[in-house]
Amino acid sequence: MTTLSHGPSGSPGSHSSEEGDLVAGPAAPPPPGVRVRDLVVVYKTPLGELPALGGVGLTVDPGTITGIVGESGSGKSTLALSLLNAVQPPGRIASGSVEIDGLGDVVRLDGDPLRRARGRHLGYVFQAAQNSLNPLKTIGKQLLDLGRSHGVADLAALVRDAKDLLGRMGLDGARVLDSHQHELSGGMRQRVGIMLALVLNARLVILDEPTTALDMITQATILRIIREIHKERGLTTLMITHDMGVAAEVTDHLAVMYGGQVVEHGRTTEVLGSPAHPYTQGLIRAIPRLSGDITKASALPGRPPTLGTLPKQGCVFQERCPVRMDVCATVAPPPVTTHGRTVACHATAAAPPLDGRKEQP
Amino acid sequence: MTPLPNQRAPKTRAVARRLGGHVVRGLVMIWVVTTISFVIIRNIPGNPVLGQYEKLIEKGMSPDEAQRATAALYGFLPTGTLWEQYTGYLKALLHLDLGQSISTPGTEVVTLLASAAKWTVLPVLGGTLLSFLLGVTLGVYAGIKRSGKLGDLLSISGSLLHGVPQYVIGLLMLAIFTTLWPILPPGGPVDVEYVPGLNAGYLASLVQHATLPVLTYALASYGGWVLAMKSSVATVLGDDFILAAELRGLTRGVLFRYIARNAILPLFTILALSLGMLFGGAIFIERIFNYPGLGLLLVNSIGARDYALMGGTFLVTTVAIIVANIAADLLYTVIDPRVRTGGAA
Amino acid sequence: MSVTVPQTELQPGLSGTRAALRRNFWRGVARVLRRKPSRMVGVAIVALFLLMAAFGPMLYPAHLPRDNNALYAPPSLAHPFGTDFEGTDVLALVVTGARYVILTGLVTAVITVAAGTLLGLLAGFHRGRWDTALMRLTDLQLTIPGLPLLLVLSTVWKFQGPLAMGLVLGLLGWGGIARAVRSQTLSLRERGFIEAARGLGLSTTHIIGRELLPSMAPYIAMNMLIAVTGAIYAQVGLFFLGVLPFDSNNWGVMLNLAVFGGGALTSAAALPYLLAPLLAILLLTLGIVLVVDAMDEIFNPRLREE
Repeated sequence: MTTLSHGPSGSPGSHSSEEGDLVAGPAAPPPPGVRVRDLVVVYKTPLGELPALGGVGLTVDPGTITGIVGESGSGKSTLALSLLNAVQPPGRIASGSVEIDGLGDVVRLDGDPLRRARGRHLGYVFQAAQNSLNPLKTIGKQLLDLGRSHGVADLAALVRDAKDLLGRMGLDGARVLDSHQHELSGGMRQRVGIMLALVLNARLVILDEPTTALDMITQATILRIIREIHKERGLTTLMITHDMGVAAEVTDHLAVMYGGQVVEHGRTTEVLGSPAHPYTQGLIRAIPRLSGDITKASALPGRPPTLGTLPKQGCVFQERCPVRMDVCATVAPPPVTTHGRTVACHATAAAPPLDGRKEQP
Repeated sequence: MTPLPNQRAPKTRAVARRLGGHVVRGLVMIWVVTTISFVIIRNIPGNPVLGQYEKLIEKGMSPDEAQRATAALYGFLPTGTLWEQYTGYLKALLHLDLGQSISTPGTEVVTLLASAAKWTVLPVLGGTLLSFLLGVTLGVYAGIKRSGKLGDLLSISGSLLHGVPQYVIGLLMLAIFTTLWPILPPGGPVDVEYVPGLNAGYLASLVQHATLPVLTYALASYGGWVLAMKSSVATVLGDDFILAAELRGLTRGVLFRYIARNAILPLFTILALSLGMLFGGAIFIERIFNYPGLGLLLVNSIGARDYALMGGTFLVTTVAIIVANIAADLLYTVIDPRVRTGGAA
Repeated sequence: MSVTVPQTELQPGLSGTRAALRRNFWRGVARVLRRKPSRMVGVAIVALFLLMAAFGPMLYPAHLPRDNNALYAPPSLAHPFGTDFEGTDVLALVVTGARYVILTGLVTAVITVAAGTLLGLLAGFHRGRWDTALMRLTDLQLTIPGLPLLLVLSTVWKFQGPLAMGLVLGLLGWGGIARAVRSQTLSLRERGFIEAARGLGLSTTHIIGRELLPSMAPYIAMNMLIAVTGAIYAQVGLFFLGVLPFDSNNWGVMLNLAVFGGGALTSAAALPYLLAPLLAILLLTLGIVLVVDAMDEIFNPRLREE
């Protein structure tokens, strides 16, 4: 899979060839892969421009469900928005690239091509707590707005697709399309959000905390729907979450973010089963278990960094790290990949690879 | 998942309850205003009611006749206890009897009010709608381009026009268009030489005379609309669904409509309210341009010490505001789907 | 913007005393004023009018001189804004008239803010029956049209002098502030502020004086400024309409005589008599708009971005 990515990374000439790909047809192309390289996003503040993402690298294999976990402020939502080149002011993408199969470097897209990529190629599902629907229009009218914006010729077919999708998720499609946002429950709204992200056949779907603020039952339903639809439609799915349980249940790959960096990335079972980065280890220790003693769950010491409190140089995790070394204060650890597992940590790199660690007591 | 038809019944009931509350409060308000009028008229230095009564007696009228004649003028009897006078006044009001005008002898106050009202309603409506359209359009722009030069200019000019009192704008218009560059008539509703009716001369004169009052209304309220729309747009821009629409790749046109429709909603209520307020606010403009509406009627009635007319005009002005309040509330339930179904189910 | 970096890196945790807060506040004021020079102009204009009100009448004799040979004289070096129908200098009229106008504005503002804050606090703090009664009263006050009511009142009460005028305007204008203060109080109560203070055993006066009022002070200050302008417009308007006796010097009297006294509007040369008081009102409005704009930014740091 990585062989594909070694093409010209977003050269100016790549634009026209991608346009050809866009049109190339309905014969169900393989799901797209995503390659984020050295992505730097900065936010303008009274203290100057501060980095929210400090050179993120992440490769998402086609057809996987990849989870992105981290505390609030770790930059996971910024990363999600970057995939659509939609970082909101006062933030902006300062450098780096986001290569998506079939689209090229999204960072270089703008204007109408970018707009058409959003929605048609890239589906985005908001947090359930956020209101992602226009309160004044029925869902059906918003669906038609979506179709017209993307030049869909057969609007009747679009409505049919939407009804099918809603039906697939256990809703009465006709009734939902006739409703306003405030007439739907949280779980129904979230399913509408998923429908709107998929109805134009987007193959890369980004879900930003899709189950936060939903009750447990609804949460389970939505997660099941995400998994099933992912398989049925052959998607590449990225899911942002701060809930390790949700990540463990749904994803097959997991990227752990801290302080605007991806500190660990690999198969979910491996990352959770034998965490390599001290931050991941801490995160997992902090989860209380249903069957265990609650005192065994120990919170991470210290506070998560904010834009202004990130270390100026060296490792972003140095201040809270239990295995800190001298080098951590000066040199940022480069991400090292072994056996499909990427870790950015001096201590891990120095230690023999991935054996001596057993499950934490 | 309750079936749809169920929603209709609570909707009508909710609207009815709101309406009922408003009507009750409105009636209380009218009662308070009439009481204020009564207290003021009765306590005016020199008691004009009693004075009129005594004058009629001097002229040789019998006390009974004089009582009746005075009551016809003021709506209450000149003699008797305070309570008798007060209830008499309220009773006359219930029959829409506001008394007779002194400054235009023999004319019912109601008649004068009706003929003045049309001169207020048309310019107020025209001016308000003109400024609403202009202000809302520019306000959207100012809200979206908040940091630009033009956006800044729009905001500052809006604040300034909003801050300056109506009469300053009116007087400046008067000075500019009737003295410095005399292209418009300085006052009055219409030139007297034209026969009222649907003839070109009359209508042209009507329009000419209405131009300055309407423009002044429009300029005076334009700033408020710009500011209100700007802040409303800013609020909507911060809403999640706008970002969501952008991330779904909706066109600029659709996005603009989403923003504008959501932002303008609260302004319709203000529009209804301000139409009510403008009946009272028309005073300065009608005085400056000598335009024979309700405002001028009020000022003239005070100048002529025509108390029945004064009380009547004051009452009508207040009723307009109360009606506008109710209309604004009903309007909101009609245009906002969220209120229509009575909030979260 | 980058210039301010070293300043803001001060650790605020250690110096969190009242004096330091006050110093930071004034520093914030200075920065906000510097950011847009127009705001300095606003402060200068407001200061100019205050000085005019305080010392203006001392610059001229009690009875302004008339000059029968120069009725409606055009602007000249001796009379920068010309003269009026009796040959009195228009500039002198504007300057001496400022005291009545500004004094009324201040009296009104004090009464509006005091009454509005008191009633709003009372309603929000006690809730229940007090609240209902006070808010009905506020609704009433806000619904009855102010200007017509003033006109009607003028038939029984002559509002003699700026103090009486300010009193009347203040008593008719507290509704808006009362409503806002009440909702602010309620929202603080909702967030558990008041219960928490009660739990700490603090007295009601302490809660109101030390906790509630300071958090509302910015809002109240802005409203005070707006009340000043409202009062100025209203009284000038009343005099302009001519429903009050012209026993004192006021910009409204000038406007009335200029428009309805005949003369000023018939020839362009006499226009300065009309325009001078208008210019004064416009200038004062501009000053206050600019100051409010600055206050807005000082008190709402959220607006500082972009």
